[in-house]
This record gives sequence, C-alpha cells and structure tokens, in this order.
Amino acid sequence: MENRTRKSILMWLLLSPLVVVILFPFAVMVSTAVKPRAEVLAYPPRWLPSEIRLQNFVDMWEATRLGPAVMNSLLVSVAATLLCLAIAIPAAYASSRMQFTGLKLYRQFLLVTQMLSPIVLVLGIFRLMASLGMVDKLPALVLAYVAFNLAFSVWMLQAYFQTIPKELEEAAKLDGASTLQRMRLIFLPLALPAIGITAVFVFIYCWNEFVLAMTLLRSPESNTLTIQTFSLVGGRYQVDWDHVMAATLVASVPVAVIFALLQRALVSGLTVGAVK
Amino acid sequence: MTRANTRPSDGIGRAAPYLLVLPSILFAFWIIGYPIYDMANMSLHAVNRFGKTGAFNDFANYSRLFSHKLFLDCLLRTLVWTVCVVGGTVLLSVPIALILNERFYGRTLARIIIMLPWAVSLTMTGIVWRWSFNGQFGMVNATLSSFGLQDTPVEWLATATTAFPILIAIGILVSIPFTVTVILGGLSSLQADIFEAAKIDGASGWQRFRHLTLPLIRPFLNIVLVLNFIYVFNSFPIIWVMTQGDPANSTDILVTWLYKLAFRYGELGVASALSIVMFLILLALTIVYAVLAMRNERRQA
Repeated sequence: MENRTRKSILMWLLLSPLVVVILFPFAVMVSTAVKPRAEVLAYPPRWLPSEIRLQNFVDMWEATRLGPAVMNSLLVSVAATLLCLAIAIPAAYASSRMQFTGLKLYRQFLLVTQMLSPIVLVLGIFRLMASLGMVDKLPALVLAYVAFNLAFSVWMLQAYFQTIPKELEEAAKLDGASTLQRMRLIFLPLALPAIGITAVFVFIYCWNEFVLAMTLLRSPESNTLTIQTFSLVGGRYQVDWDHVMAATLVASVPVAVIFALLQRALVSGLTVGAVK
Repeated sequence: MTRANTRPSDGIGRAAPYLLVLPSILFAFWIIGYPIYDMANMSLHAVNRFGKTGAFNDFANYSRLFSHKLFLDCLLRTLVWTVCVVGGTVLLSVPIALILNERFYGRTLARIIIMLPWAVSLTMTGIVWRWSFNGQFGMVNATLSSFGLQDTPVEWLATATTAFPILIAIGILVSIPFTVTVILGGLSSLQADIFEAAKIDGASGWQRFRHLTLPLIRPFLNIVLVLNFIYVFNSFPIIWVMTQGDPANSTDILVTWLYKLAFRYGELGVASALSIVMFLILLALTIVYAVLAMRNERRQA
C-alpha cells in the first residue's frame, strides 16, 4: 500500500506540467468571466477578482445574442447527426455483414473521403451551395457535416458490428424473417451502444466545427455558437473579454462534461474503430 | 419454409448490400466529389473574381501559384508546423500513455484531465489562449512575472519570433488526447506475461521499453503518425483564431493562405489550384496510411 502511494505521487508529479497547461485556459476562462469589467482591463492583471460577478453571464447572454446561436448549433448538430446515422447504419451493416463484390473498393473509397478535410474543399463546397441557393442557410451546413462524417461513422460502426455475433440473425433467418425484419428487430437493439457512441462523436464534430460554418453562413442571425463567439473577437478593435470568456465557458462546459462522463465508452469505442 | 419462398429473397439479397451502401456513395459524390471536380475544372481555366470560368489558360493558375512570393514560405512553414506538432505530440504522448497505463491513485481523474482539450472546440481553445497571451492584460505574462521569470511584458502573438512557436505548442497540446488514446489502446492490448518473463530475466525498465513495448506498439505509432500528419496539415482554426497568419504573414500555413486567397483576395483560380495541390498531397498521405493499415491487418491475422 505504502508503495502504491509513493508511485501515485510520482506519477502525478510527472504529469503535473501537462495538467497545469491543460487546466490553465479553464482557469483563465473562469477568472475573466466573473471579473468586473474594470478589473479585466486593469494592469497588472490578477487571477482573483475583487468580487465574483455572475451578472456577467446575464449581460453576456443579452449582449452577444448567444441564445439564438446555441439554438442554431443544436438544430444543425442534431439534424446532421440523425441524417448521418440514417445513411451510415445501413452502409455499415452491409459492409460488416454481407459479402459483395466491390466491398474492398468501397472501403478504400471511405478511407479517401475520411482523409479530406473541409478546409481543402471549402471553396468548391461554397460554390456548390451557392449554385443550390443555400448559402447562409442552416441545411447547407447539415449536408456538409453529414458528408464529412459519413466515412468516419461507417468505419466506426462496421468495426463494432463485426463484434456482434451473427448467430441470432441466422436463427431468425431460418424462422423466415426478412433482411429488414432481422435488421430492425434483432440487430439494431444490439448495436444501440455503438450507434450512441458514434452519434456523440458526430454531434461533437458538428457542435465544434469552424471553417464551414464561417464560410457558408453570412448573416449574424444564422451564426452557430462557434462562429458567434469568434465574431466577438475576430476583426474587432475593442473586445469585451469578460463577455467572450463567459461565452466560451458556456460553449465549452456542456460538451466537456458530456465528454468526461462518457470518456471511458468513447475512448474504447474509438480504439475499436482505429485498430480494425 | 419452402424453397419457393427463399428464392425471391435471395434475388433481393444479392442487390441488398448495394442498395444499403448506395446512399452514402451518392452523398459523398455530391458534397465531396463534385466540389473537387469543380475546383479542378476552375484551376485549369481563367476565372474572374465572381467565379465565372473562361477559356483554358495553359496552367496559368498553377504557374501563378508556384511563382507566388508567399507559396514557398507557406509550404515550408506548413512543413515545419506539421513536423514539429506531430513530432512533439508523439514524443510527449508515449510517456504520457505509459504513465496512464500504470495503476495509481486518481488514474481515472488523470485520464479525464488529459482528454479535456479534445472536448473543447479548437475555436474556443484558440480564443482563450489568444486572451491568455495578450501582451498587456494576459495571464501568461502576469503568471510569468509573478514568478519572477520575466521583467517586461511580452507581446507574444504580435512578435514574429514568438507567435509561431506558441501556435506549435498549442497544436501539440490539442493533439495529445487523441494520440494518447490510440497508444493506450495499443498498450492495453499487450500481454503482461512476456513483461514478467523479461523482468525475471533481469531486463531493466528501459530495456523492456526499448526492446518489448516499443516494437509491439509500433503499428499503433505508425497509424498515429500518419493520421496526425493529415490532421495537423489541415489544421485551420487555431492559427486563424489566434493570429490569422499575422504578423505580416509570418504564421500563415497553406490552409490559412488558401482561405485568404479564396475568400479575401478573390484569387479563385490560384485558390482552386492550391486546393488541388493539397488534395493530391493528402491523397498521397492516404495511400501511405492504407499501406500501413493493411500491413497491420496482415500481422494481426
């Protein structure tokens, strides 16, 4: 026991520089977000404010129009996640459960689309959306997000699906269940955890995405949360840092909490996907 | 169950996999394939700033790109950025993963903390660090001077010599969680008994690491290297949010320059040529990755 305590102290000491650097921005966020404005721009700056001013959050919410931006982000992320799963689940089912000519080609196709990032294609995507008359419309973002998450989702889901035993489905097949029935009644319930984890990853991607949102959205009313927050900083001479930090805190904490709670499941899920 | 009943379902059965994968293929061709075609097309023709394409112009967009005074700068900086961030990330992530693989008090908490930067969007991370490195009111200067480590405040992000290294450090910080995760996955797949055997045979900790752990997690390291290379090469938000490539283009990498060419300077022809060049670089990297991944699969089989 004694030995383990000493080891634990050593391990934490070794990790401490990194832990400090990781927690530093969170400390900055909290510290600035609750400061009275006069102290935000006081020199030299201090960590501890003279009072903890929670009113900042209320002011920020009004002044920065964060509410509509949160709604836009939620709408886009939920819609994109659902559409992505609706397309990816059948594809993953086919590529993990069925033998067909072209399966290998399909996997390579997935790999290539997975490697492409939005930034390299953003000009072409902007032109595509412009030709469809969808610039500054949230569905444009949904379509783009689905496209960039499909490969990842199919990849991850099929790695999982391979771990689900086939026997149950084969038994159902003998009993005369059709492909669709087998998929809906037997396979999907077993695959639900995998689908949930994939959904979380897609959701977080959409919630955090930057370059497509910045390019495809034009008016402040359609901004997502990331872009609205960025607009408080980018291209401004005077930045209200207390509001900005309150906004980043509001934007980051929910996702960070979800992530921390699901950490184990997410990490093991990703390892299955990465190694297969 | 009669034969007559199974026959038609066999016919559907043969078409079924194609019907199931078809939507994903169509979708990718529409949203990803068409833009690539469109940009390739644009890169070969004269384009005005509103995106109207004219005649084929003898690769003029490409020659303008390659002879542009910023192209070589940005390319080199992209290389430095990618190599430093990926190298730094992997060098730091291996020991971190080794630590997190040990049993100690608070390991779950340590894992959660190390994974935290992953959960926060790069945009938010960039915004907070930009404020932290603010020359006048930033907490980095305040913290350094309170420990007596610096006399006068530094304008970190407005100085060319400090801005880029800082961006690289932040790049490393946000790449660690994913990398540690994959390496941890590799470590947890190792069997304990060979390490016990090596210990009994008198191998030191370093020897066990050098001759057992490292070769065994090699496939995972390969994958992490290539994937990180691709992510970091494409990484946009951190630089855009913190410096937008300034001061005086000294922190521009290819992706930020590409964005400026396309959406700020209206140089659509050059921008599409650059997009295609980057697409080809990524394609080459993907092939490397595919070869590595396939070799892994064969080893596991």
